[in-house]
Amino acid sequence: MSLKDLNRSLWVFHVNSGSCNGCDIEIVASLTPRYDIERFGMKLVGTPRHADVLLVTGPVTRDMEKKLKRVFEQTPDPKVVMVIGNCGSTGGVFYESYNLAGPVDQVIPVDVYVTGCPPRPEAIIEGVVKAWTKIEKQGEKK
Amino acid sequence: MFEMAKELFKQLFKKPFTNMFPAKHAPKSTVGFLKKVEEGKAKLNEPVPIPEGFRGKIAYDKEKCIGCKLCIKVCPANAFEYLEKERKVKYHLSRCTFCAQCVDVCPVNALVSTKEFLLSDYNKK
Repeated sequence: MSLKDLNRSLWVFHVNSGSCNGCDIEIVASLTPRYDIERFGMKLVGTPRHADVLLVTGPVTRDMEKKLKRVFEQTPDPKVVMVIGNCGSTGGVFYESYNLAGPVDQVIPVDVYVTGCPPRPEAIIEGVVKAWTKIEKQGEKK
Repeated sequence: MFEMAKELFKQLFKKPFTNMFPAKHAPKSTVGFLKKVEEGKAKLNEPVPIPEGFRGKIAYDKEKCIGCKLCIKVCPANAFEYLEKERKVKYHLSRCTFCAQCVDVCPVNALVSTKEFLLSDYNKK
């Protein structure tokens, strides 16, 4: 994957895999005029088939495991997966719950972890910058 | 009518409410831009000022810690791991919920809330 493959605005699809809605609110807050992530050309889209980036919130509940895999497969390559919030990276307060299919990285491969509970909109923007640099560096190696 | 014209005129010269956090627009090359920032040729915009009493990343002072395990008892997310040999704890940032109960309960103030919140990474911490 190189930046040439993604040489356009990053379109984002938001997957809630059993989150408490804190991270979802922060994602929406980063779209508001105060933070305005759309000035980077980013946009929330309604279907994974239009998306370049998957924003996954929440630990993956057993109900959502198959659906999350399906959403991941529906997203066209090249794609970036970002985990928003601590639930997705380790399980957070839901650790050791009988109803979890493990944190997100046990279900789909993850590129960037955004730490916070919930992370502030700036932390999400910083995560996007990290994803962007990762793509560019991968492109340079090729 | 006049009121509206006044408002319109004001809006023409007002700055946008948006806080242009890292940069105003996406640069052509992010790596190049970050390099420029390191060299001091470009500047990053500051994030929105955080409110007072903000609970960010928790700083742990290993020297001060007496190994009383109170933080482990009080933590809702099991973010602390007890190190049997050293009689100290280990703090896992990516498990933390930033409730800062451990900060309140720590008898020697080895745990302190910082204002750090830009914590994204490629790996779990």
